[in-house]
Amino acid sequence: MNIIHNIIIDGMSFALPLFIMAIGGIYSERSGITNLALEGLQGMGAFVGGLTAYCLTLYFGADSRIPYAAAMLCAMLGGAAYAALHGLLCIRFRANQVISGVVINILGMALTSFLTKTINRNVFGEASDKFILGVSACYTIPGLSKIPVLGAFFTNVYPFEPLILVIALIAWYFLYRTSFGLRLRACGDNPHAVDAAGGSVAATRFIAVMVSGALSGLAGICFAYSISGKFSSDIYVGYGYLAIAAYIFGNWNLLPSLAACLIFGFARSGGYQLVQQLGMPSSYSDLVMTLPYILTLFLLIFLSKNNQAPRALGEIYDKAKR
Amino acid sequence: MNDRKNVIRIALIAILISLLAGAVVILALGKNPLSAYYNLLQGCGLAPKAKYAGSKSQLADFSSFVDFWTPMIFAALSCAVAMKAGLFNIGISGQMLVAGFISSVTIGYSSLSAPVAKPLVILLSAAAGTAVGSLIGYLKYRFNINEVVSSIMLNYIASYVISFFINTFFVDPVSRQSRNIGDNARLTFHQINLGGIKYDLPIGFLLAVAAVIIIRFLLERTVLGYELRAVGLNRTASRYAGIRVGSSIVKSMAISGLLAGIAGATYYLGYFASIQPKTLVSVGYDSIAVCLLGNSDPAGILASSFLIDIITKGSTYMSSQAGLESEIAAVITGLILLASACSSYFLGLFIRGKEHRKSTVPTPARKKSAHKE
Repeated sequence: MNIIHNIIIDGMSFALPLFIMAIGGIYSERSGITNLALEGLQGMGAFVGGLTAYCLTLYFGADSRIPYAAAMLCAMLGGAAYAALHGLLCIRFRANQVISGVVINILGMALTSFLTKTINRNVFGEASDKFILGVSACYTIPGLSKIPVLGAFFTNVYPFEPLILVIALIAWYFLYRTSFGLRLRACGDNPHAVDAAGGSVAATRFIAVMVSGALSGLAGICFAYSISGKFSSDIYVGYGYLAIAAYIFGNWNLLPSLAACLIFGFARSGGYQLVQQLGMPSSYSDLVMTLPYILTLFLLIFLSKNNQAPRALGEIYDKAKR
Repeated sequence: MNDRKNVIRIALIAILISLLAGAVVILALGKNPLSAYYNLLQGCGLAPKAKYAGSKSQLADFSSFVDFWTPMIFAALSCAVAMKAGLFNIGISGQMLVAGFISSVTIGYSSLSAPVAKPLVILLSAAAGTAVGSLIGYLKYRFNINEVVSSIMLNYIASYVISFFINTFFVDPVSRQSRNIGDNARLTFHQINLGGIKYDLPIGFLLAVAAVIIIRFLLERTVLGYELRAVGLNRTASRYAGIRVGSSIVKSMAISGLLAGIAGATYYLGYFASIQPKTLVSVGYDSIAVCLLGNSDPAGILASSFLIDIITKGSTYMSSQAGLESEIAAVITGLILLASACSSYFLGLFIRGKEHRKSTVPTPARKKSAHKE
């Protein structure tokens, strides 16, 4: 019983940040901009959020809730600002979108680790390559958590989990139920139609990329607050690529992507529980860590063939082309 | 020909902008950028240091730099072959790791004599790299899986699985890395004593230069190379022209993997003699920068890899001398990447500027509107 409990609790806290990042990816790709930059965006978001929280904690003290909330907000802003660079490259400078995404990742990794060290040394006067944040406090909802098995979904919930669900709901509404969402999806399938209808393809795509940056940034700081309890270069272990795999698996739609994220989350936490329960040496957890990746590959093998990517995905929009 | 001139001009501009941006950062930290950049050269043996320890000299530093440079040439060539076919091999680090690991545990720990072991290392690494590379190509061709996603998944799988094997079977309890391979299998004559000074002489470097020539010949002068480039330029048109696109994709990834495998051999069994678990080397990612900067052209890659490796290798010395974090090197490399990603835009600007100057007749209105957006 306890095992299933733990699998659900750990799995959800991993799956939900992954899901919000996948939503970001969906926004960007449905608007026609390939976004391999999620990894770098979540790292940059986590860096900005982590730095904010670290500074504010010094000011408000460790008990205050303010740093936590500010970190979430700043992570989103930081991610969006950094995503603007991806947008600029892809839309204004007509760079190859795959290359731009990878460049954003590499530069993000280099910048954040350089800045972390430099700020630590020059501002806080210590030689360190991380910002310690501590793992965020968890909440258990009284009553609901007593339900057998399903109660686990309400036990030890990180505060960011309900936040993510709310944002996901809003994102769903905007994408499928508003005229902005319709235009965004049209940009990915037939940008010329949007242009003919009087919309701006460039502006819509730019907004979509910024949204994906903000959501990835939020995911990044959630990972920093839950898995590692700090910001360091440990944040770059491929969460962004898992999110990409999740929405490819979900055929660029929100709900199936959530299913993929949950599979990843439960595969990961299930594997960890297995290693613990069987009392295997810790080096075996390396093998368990490969589970989500192997699962991704297999899922892609079975699903990619029938997948329909947005038709104009990755193409530089050219007004003159017919 | 003019095109090539423009490409070189763009590469130089990209480097210049990045170095300037780096200089601004260094200035902002209150250090002297010129001396910091000079430290980079000193660290690579391209400029004399103030003083040398007993068995060191400028030439010895340079030999160690060439040793470091070798894997980068192979890795960047690997990236270029894929890029020419319109594919993006971001799994070079993973392919290097797989190749390095397999040849380390089989030949590296064996007692074969050197003339047998060294060629075997290269052959086995090349085979391992080819296997991984063609797997990625096959997944793309057969199942339509984006090569970027699949190669990154394979990167992580390889990294964790190999880390498990190293930690369980091959670990050196002191260094926490895999046990050192024997000198018989190592592709670098490590710390060879010549007249009291110890040099690192990489065999792989000669191979790397040969590879540059071979790949250039392959891409420019053979049917296979022509087909790869055609597929990279326009997949649909190539299919209509009767080129088998699927097989070209697999072939280019196989060649790319082969080169990445040799890069792994020269890195893990040359520059180093051991493997650090759970780490994907940055060479694989930096090689993308090198390849973009060199415009995916083998000769261009030789030049750009030289430059990027000066920044990477020299950063350790710069960090110790100037008190800057060595990560600044990665930042500058990243900036070079950023600038060269925009290269086609700048190329368009150049060409348009030239047309503008040449044309005495006013440009027709329709063309103008096409250029505007």
